[in-house]
Amino acid sequence: MNLHENSPIRVHDLVKVYRGKSRNPVKALDGLNMEVARGEIFGLLGRNGAGKTTLLRVLSTLIEPTSGTAEVCGRNVVKEPYRVRQSICAVLQENAVEVFLSVLDNLSTYGRFHSIPRRQIRERAESVMAQFGLEEYRHQKVIDLSGGLKRRVQVAKVFMVDKPVVFLDEATTGMDPVNKRATLDAIREHARQGRTILLTTHILQEAEELCDRIAIVDQGRCLVTGDLAMIKSMATRAYDINVTFERMRPEILETASRYPLLKLRSTSTTLEMSVRGSEVSTFALLDALSHVEPIVHFEVTSASLEDVFLELLGTSGKEGRAGEKS
Amino acid sequence: MKMILAVMYREYRIRTTSLTWLFYDMFMPLTYLLIFGIGFESAFAGGVAVAGDRMGYNAFFLAGVLSMASFGIAINTAYGFFVDRDNGIFYEFLTYPMTRSEFLVGKILFNSLLALVQAAITITLGAVLLGLALRWDLIGLVAFGQVLGTAGWFFFLTTFAIRIRRNDMFNTFLNVAYFVLMFGSSMFYPVESLPRWLQAVSFVNPLTWHTDVLRYATIGAGAAEVVALEGAAFLCFLAVSFALAVQTIRNPLRA
Repeated sequence: MNLHENSPIRVHDLVKVYRGKSRNPVKALDGLNMEVARGEIFGLLGRNGAGKTTLLRVLSTLIEPTSGTAEVCGRNVVKEPYRVRQSICAVLQENAVEVFLSVLDNLSTYGRFHSIPRRQIRERAESVMAQFGLEEYRHQKVIDLSGGLKRRVQVAKVFMVDKPVVFLDEATTGMDPVNKRATLDAIREHARQGRTILLTTHILQEAEELCDRIAIVDQGRCLVTGDLAMIKSMATRAYDINVTFERMRPEILETASRYPLLKLRSTSTTLEMSVRGSEVSTFALLDALSHVEPIVHFEVTSASLEDVFLELLGTSGKEGRAGEKS
Repeated sequence: MKMILAVMYREYRIRTTSLTWLFYDMFMPLTYLLIFGIGFESAFAGGVAVAGDRMGYNAFFLAGVLSMASFGIAINTAYGFFVDRDNGIFYEFLTYPMTRSEFLVGKILFNSLLALVQAAITITLGAVLLGLALRWDLIGLVAFGQVLGTAGWFFFLTTFAIRIRRNDMFNTFLNVAYFVLMFGSSMFYPVESLPRWLQAVSFVNPLTWHTDVLRYATIGAGAAEVVALEGAAFLCFLAVSFALAVQTIRNPLRA
């Protein structure tokens, strides 16, 4: 099996510098490295301007990198852009739809561009419209649809075709929860069929739910790459512990404050704490507290992706560029 | 070829969504000829002279209308890049499995077909309604001229439409280009009757070359060898414009 069959997307030391006439050069990608495995849903996370969209633009052959290499299905994006385009489909950030055409014509036109046999186009369009709840709008011109529906049409197009690699740039932005769910289900289903999906999103819960692996990107570099569990484990290993007592006594606070807590807050009956797993044994802490006052209820929750995201980006913001940790 | 046909199909679907648009595309040049041409025919009852031959203004202006129609289609098509960019579809297009050349060629082939239909309507109805004496033996050259003319102007304007990001800037550019190129050419009046400085402008203006070829092909006006030279110059203009357009669209976000 060729290398690219295992990893349809391979990026090595990728640099992209935008040089405008009226501004200083901007380094959007700064030596980025990553590989995405076949059938994987890979999420790119990062704040605005981190380089996510630039990476998708390079991979979809819209722009050429300044240096480094990027390959899609074993084809170099600079040397063989046409071959690369034959193996991808992309949803870019904008509402890319044919506003003067109907929903059905949008899907049919897209199908033609992707060489779907004419007799199959209608069939696939019907199935995609059903999947995305677009049937009742089939003959409506897209210019008359709401922003959310336009976005739905745009995303639905991608599922008309069977390209091995799909790029989704904030695909669910502007969708209502029901259609967001349909989109996420469709993404999952297509990944199961072996398509490789590289997506960017600002909705971390979505990434957490959907992605097999995640890269957090900042200032054009990958700060961390891995699966969700691994990424969470690379954070401060913070846990939130909420303990409820029948009544809050000063001794409870005294006992808790002996531990190196990241956060300590109390209400009339509940103590809210954040602890670093490496520094505090949760069981020891609970045990100590239970000796002061019987515990009625407790909850321990691990760090969310959002916690890790904010922590990593906060650190990189304060300390400048962090080294790659993947 | 499949991709070129897909681009043409898309252009066709968009055009046919508006009957007004379609009517404008098909009949506007004829309307121009019937109103503007007839007005000037009355104003210049003595006609105009080209290379020593006198002719009625309507006959003279027919080629001007045809080249104006080519130029107009090219402007509309180039302006379509702005519409596509505003709708976000332009960059998505460039990720479709086709080469940049196929994209441009598909667009221009459809619009050249449009220019041909437009020219057929204008010439046929112009001849019938205005009684113009045409060189029917050269009608193939007219068709050739319309296709290459539309292509040349489209490729020329594409470079600017992609490089200029602002709609208002592109509008200003178009207005200036439209004004200078059209009025500094042989479209409305014979170049010989212009002041020397304006003649100089006109001689280096590709719109003059295009119009003169069409004038020769429609009514046989002008010296064949000069027209042949102008035709060759226009082909060079087309080739350079095509190369620049492909180069520009190859890296559209850098442009």
